[in-house]
Amino acid sequence: MAARRKYPKGTVMLSIGTKRGLFLLTSKDRRTWKAEGPSMVGYRVYHATLDLRNGPRLYAAANNDFFGSGVRYSDDFGRTWKEPETGIAFAEGSGLSLKNIWIIEPGRPSELETVYCGVDPAALFVSHDRGQTWAMNQGLENHHTRRRWEPGAGGLCLHSIVTHPDNPRRMWVAISAVGVMRTDDGGTTWKFCNTGTRADFLPDKYPEFGQCVHRLLIHPTQHDVLYQQNHCSTYVSDNSGDSWAEIRNNLPSDFGFPMAMDPHDPDTLYTIVENPEGRTNVTDQFTVYRTQNAGRRWERLTKGLPKGPMVRLGVLRHGMSTDSRDPCGVYVGTNTGQLFGSRDRGDSWRLIADFLPSIYSVTATVL
Amino acid sequence: MADGSAPAATIRLPGPLRERAGRRASVPARGDTVRALILDLDQQFPGMRFQLCEETGNLRPFVNIFLEDENVRDLQGLDTPVPDGGTVHILLSVAGGSPAWLEKRVN
Repeated sequence: MAARRKYPKGTVMLSIGTKRGLFLLTSKDRRTWKAEGPSMVGYRVYHATLDLRNGPRLYAAANNDFFGSGVRYSDDFGRTWKEPETGIAFAEGSGLSLKNIWIIEPGRPSELETVYCGVDPAALFVSHDRGQTWAMNQGLENHHTRRRWEPGAGGLCLHSIVTHPDNPRRMWVAISAVGVMRTDDGGTTWKFCNTGTRADFLPDKYPEFGQCVHRLLIHPTQHDVLYQQNHCSTYVSDNSGDSWAEIRNNLPSDFGFPMAMDPHDPDTLYTIVENPEGRTNVTDQFTVYRTQNAGRRWERLTKGLPKGPMVRLGVLRHGMSTDSRDPCGVYVGTNTGQLFGSRDRGDSWRLIADFLPSIYSVTATVL
Repeated sequence: MADGSAPAATIRLPGPLRERAGRRASVPARGDTVRALILDLDQQFPGMRFQLCEETGNLRPFVNIFLEDENVRDLQGLDTPVPDGGTVHILLSVAGGSPAWLEKRVN
């Protein structure tokens, strides 16, 4: 067994995936942070997550410009890494090849060994042995519309995976620019869940599929409630994705990537919307937006965040996360290498780290 | 290893691939073509083929393979014959910096 670093109970660990490797930051009080890493410096780490269900295992989506992409996992908090025995790859003869791994999502509490992974070109891979062997979900891959799926600017990426906590046969995935899809039979068949979400960039603004969903979340206690940040506004569904209602309301832009939730108050959501052309803050003030009533009204959170004519920050789809402490911490990483944190639900912010490589993902875990 | 009667070549590996090959900069392999050499490398060091070739079978775009001082892309690609005693260099292409297409893909 690998030697494990010891962290006091309650330590918050931030897994920061960047253009040049993975950084880990830890804090007991969420005021002072200790940095470790980087590891995997030759990789674009699009996402990393620490799975605590069966002993801590850190997973990373490791994308290499030269030698391809793969899942890597570590049982000693990033000191050493292993690769799967059977990695993620498309079948020879399929005509497809793996471009990037976008997300690694631990399975339900009832399936301790299961891990899911989303990739570009859009496909869902599943491991039932904690990441050692992977297999493609054939139901999604063989969907009758698969040949008509078109990529977004980031590629044809399956970037969000949401499992129903209690129903092992139901889960959702989000693909850019295809939309949200749901299975109710354990992945054998999939249906589109895009009714009510716009695709302003298509002739038909409300197609069956083709929407550019950017991030998908589930309500932690009301499992029929989903939220999504989209290329074209912000939405909620109260019927498992069968239909969606717009909750942009007073947000200053339709366009945003990340979304996060206060786990103690799921009506509290966080997002960052951007100027769609520049893909940075809408005004001179870098702003995180919070709603405390499920999107009926959004607050501007700015205390401690930078402002000025030279402030132009962008946040990618996995660049925001909350921790499970109460009050929850909120963390935002920018694609220019700043990491901001709040220990009071977003009321105030501090710069935790600067000069990091471009940040692709931030994942907070309480040890 | 491949068929012992197949031509033997010396494969020179770039730094990022040496970990997989026991941290060696140079390893022997057998095969009468570059493709066969890659298959032999994969048998010796599982996963090596995936790092060099996409699932379509094509050489990854930023990987270059030279037989002696000739880029195999300018010869017969992966079907380039390899003579007994030949030296094959696996190199990263000069693709540094931050190409605009790569930035765009992340968004």
